[in-house]
Amino acid sequence: MRRRVPVLAMMFFAISPAWAQSPPPPDQTEQIRILLERVQQLEKRVTELETKPAAGAGVTVQAANVAAVAKPEMAEAPPPPPAPGLGHQHEMAEPQAAPGQMEVHYPSLQIRGFGDVDFSATDQKGSTSGFNLGQLDLHLASALSRKVTYFGEITFNAQPASVYTVDVERSIIRYDYNDFFKLSFGRYHTPIGYWNTAFHHGAWLQTTISRPDFVKFGGTFIPVHFLGFLAEGNIPSGGAGLSYNVGVGNGRGSAISRPGDAGDNNNNRAWVANLYSRPARLYGLQMGVSVYRDKITLPGTPPNGNNFREWISAAHIVWTKETPEFLAEFANVNHRNILTNFVTNSQAFYAQVGYRLPWLERTLKPYYRFEHTHVPLSEQVFTNQDLVQSIVGMRYDITNYAAFKGEYRYFKRLPTDPWVNGAFFQTDFTF
Amino acid sequence: MNATNKLIVTFLWTILWASLALHSPLAAQTRGADIAVVVNADTPVTDLSLSEVRKVLLGERQYWSSKLPVVLLIRAPAARERDVVLRVIYQMSEAQFKQYWVAKIFRAEAATPPRIVYSNDMQYELLTALPGSIAFIDSRNIHSGVKVLRVDGHLPGEKDYPLR
Repeated sequence: MRRRVPVLAMMFFAISPAWAQSPPPPDQTEQIRILLERVQQLEKRVTELETKPAAGAGVTVQAANVAAVAKPEMAEAPPPPPAPGLGHQHEMAEPQAAPGQMEVHYPSLQIRGFGDVDFSATDQKGSTSGFNLGQLDLHLASALSRKVTYFGEITFNAQPASVYTVDVERSIIRYDYNDFFKLSFGRYHTPIGYWNTAFHHGAWLQTTISRPDFVKFGGTFIPVHFLGFLAEGNIPSGGAGLSYNVGVGNGRGSAISRPGDAGDNNNNRAWVANLYSRPARLYGLQMGVSVYRDKITLPGTPPNGNNFREWISAAHIVWTKETPEFLAEFANVNHRNILTNFVTNSQAFYAQVGYRLPWLERTLKPYYRFEHTHVPLSEQVFTNQDLVQSIVGMRYDITNYAAFKGEYRYFKRLPTDPWVNGAFFQTDFTF
Repeated sequence: MNATNKLIVTFLWTILWASLALHSPLAAQTRGADIAVVVNADTPVTDLSLSEVRKVLLGERQYWSSKLPVVLLIRAPAARERDVVLRVIYQMSEAQFKQYWVAKIFRAEAATPPRIVYSNDMQYELLTALPGSIAFIDSRNIHSGVKVLRVDGHLPGEKDYPLR
């Protein structure tokens, strides 16, 4: 007997790992599934009954079992010849559901809104703590035909003088030829790097409260917006999963944080090219490089203002799954004064890691981001934007469409500035 | 053998038989059949790799050919077909799947999310009526008139078929 107990115990432990992989015991979802299977069985029965009168006319509509499916000739069997009246009978079986789904209306406008409410408090001298209403963002998408689509994005922004500004952030009309070539015209978020085209204005979409400093809205480090045309698509590249964006547009305006929406301020167009890869074998990985070229004209003394050549080169690598999530980007901005040939280079990068915790229905996601921006004192196009910052935070998804975020930030701007501690909170949502 | 030992032996035998029963081929069958990737009969494709199926479902491949857009059909939540598609292909939870499509449309990468279908009959009607449509169906419920795709060279029911 003493021998039997250990033997049985060993057999039990040998089986238990496999047992651990078994599905959980029946719960509410399982009951719903059983009910759905029952509905399917009944539907099948109804179909059989409906097809019985037509059986004599040679119609063969029947369920195939698994073994039959495994036969190639069965798998690619051509559709049966339509029997007189059968299509009508079938339509009558589910008149409410299917016909409405089959009709496609153009234009088919969809509207989605994003919003956020924020609170911040820091120990920076002269700063005040308090709430602020973030952006109210409306996104519009409308298919105009099978191959032509319009996308728009409009924001409402609270300003210090108790007024609101309305901005057209994106307005794009796109023609799809196929997956390899899609041509669009309008105002975009410039396809430099990853964040600028992945998250746009809705804070709910991103893990953190705010964007990295060098891609922030209203910032000048890279041109966040771009007005012109863009060609994009996939590149036939097998498992490498290459895609591209190539565009030509106005580039920076006289206020270099904005594109020349009402017209360019010089006769040189900016161009941008972005190449990225999503390898098939590493689902979740994306890596890419971008270049951007422009001529900047600032209001100034020389006959046609102060002119600079701008070269921006950027690279990114991201792992978009949430266990873990990893995002990292780098950008270098090169400015050359056309008159004096004086050159400056400014760099910025960030690395962000997050992890969706398995508990509490996977609603919690802690994260950390380090970012660094360096602008030399000799830079002539934009003012100093130096930053060293660490952010530790937690995202809590209240529902599928609303989140609460809390962050601690530790940062300083210029080397002579003191370090600043800050607490930031945000609730953001889509509706 | 004292009473305690008898109790332990009885307990372990019960666990052992229960485990074997749960892992028998019969039990495996009752957990559900393979999920077939099914397209409209006129779609010019017969074989896709799992990563190509994923590209289609992620909206990264939106055209079968320049004249034929992909129309994605997916079962409503709680259907087994949807569970398998989310687990094996998307590798996302229900919440992540919903958020993925909100973001996809917001990025101007797609105009519409997948169409939700509530029953197999509705799925078949749409599959036969909509050129370029693709759906995921329990392989026990396959009707004729649609095309079942090989995935990684395998059809449902074959040993290495990935969607189960």
